[in-house]
Amino acid sequence: MVSARGTAARLNAPRPALVETNVGGEPRLVNRELVTVVREEWRVVDRWWTEEPVDRRYFEVVLESGRNVCVYRDGERACWFTQRA
Amino acid sequence: MFPVIACLLIPGFELRVALRSRPRLAVVPAALAPEPGREPLLGPVTAAAEAAGVTAGMRLGEALATCPELVLVDPDPAGAEREWEGVLRRLEDAGFGVEPVEPGVVVFETRGVERLYGGVEAALTKALASVGPAWDPRAGAGQRRFVALAAASVARPGQAVIVEGEEERTFLEPLPLSLLPLEEERYAELEGLGVRTLGALAALPGGAVAERLGLEGKRAWSLARGGERRRVRGRSPAAELVEALSFPEAVANELTLRRAFGALLDRLLARPERAGRPFRKLGLSARLVGGGSWRRTVTLREATGERGRIRSALGPKLVEIPSPVVELRLEAVELAEHAGQQLALVAPEGEEADLRLREGLRQVRASAGGSAVGAVVEVAPWSRIPETRALVVPRDV
Repeated sequence: MVSARGTAARLNAPRPALVETNVGGEPRLVNRELVTVVREEWRVVDRWWTEEPVDRRYFEVVLESGRNVCVYRDGERACWFTQRA
Repeated sequence: MFPVIACLLIPGFELRVALRSRPRLAVVPAALAPEPGREPLLGPVTAAAEAAGVTAGMRLGEALATCPELVLVDPDPAGAEREWEGVLRRLEDAGFGVEPVEPGVVVFETRGVERLYGGVEAALTKALASVGPAWDPRAGAGQRRFVALAAASVARPGQAVIVEGEEERTFLEPLPLSLLPLEEERYAELEGLGVRTLGALAALPGGAVAERLGLEGKRAWSLARGGERRRVRGRSPAAELVEALSFPEAVANELTLRRAFGALLDRLLARPERAGRPFRKLGLSARLVGGGSWRRTVTLREATGERGRIRSALGPKLVEIPSPVVELRLEAVELAEHAGQQLALVAPEGEEADLRLREGLRQVRASAGGSAVGAVVEVAPWSRIPETRALVVPRDV
């Protein structure tokens, strides 16, 4: 969690996730586990004025095991991540 | 007999430091830009800039009008401080008790090492060698500080000029007034009066100079006659306590900087080398996003190891940082000698829990490694991007 001595590290950095979606672009499988409910969905578009713009579509989902997970699709990189929102 | 005083000079030291990362600028007209918020006067200039008519201390507008292709180099005060400390330490390692005057100028006595190296000249050669040829240092020696400085100013890179006591007057006489610490208008005033050399100024009656030019003029007149004889007082060795924090991305908001500063202060206070001694002088520096740096040094009115007092002394300096910060450093420049502390009759509430917590964290560190203990510092809790809300900062226990 803490990087080399003297260097601050980010807390809650996103981690790559394996996500399959349905036709509407909502997650159907997260890390090979079935999604039972999509509880909430929101978008974060920020820093569009910089060289590292943020364009994320977040989903808070409940998996088959009962776990609550937050995943997002990074619109800039076209890939999925999990993150505690 | 009065001991020989030596002066080692590195002209344009701050510019040289700033140019180390951009060496190609050393051969084009370039000058050290004024620090943000200061008077717009140029710092040292390169030889090419000098050839184009630009001089150190010139107003920025005038310099750009004189030489439109002049490149302004951002100052790097933190880098200059670090490099200068390196130069001083190399001189100290060679046995000289140094008294730094400003970055690029240091005086020392040779008496203690003359027998070791075989005379004044050999000692100066040793001093020049210990600094290294990369800095183009020059040395001068005489029986007064100003004479030593003047001798170093006329020496070529790597050369030492020694002025014997009886030669002082004849040596100083033909030298230009620019060696004197005077304001620009004073030079012009003296030139208008036909005074162009140190000898011409020294020949004037002291009372008349003081009446015309005031205290500053009197001091210059005294220096033109060699200046006062004053022994060199070698500095106390600098403390080597530094804590630094690099950010994953440049930080500009004051709250984040304040929190990072708090974390650095905690780590500095926890350093075992301090051995309970309070801080006398602290340095706060930042590496800036454009490649420059910023530095402020604060001498505390009373040496202290209290977090709150240090925060209130150094914290306000953070708003002076001119651009986003890539790395923040806190350095104990000088520690007090005493470690005395008044014990409390009744232990403050919560002290026992605090001690137990610290002990627990020490155990975690001992078993999982030095970087296992971190503190979560909120830096932008309002951010919509979760990973930018907080940082994990390594913490000493």
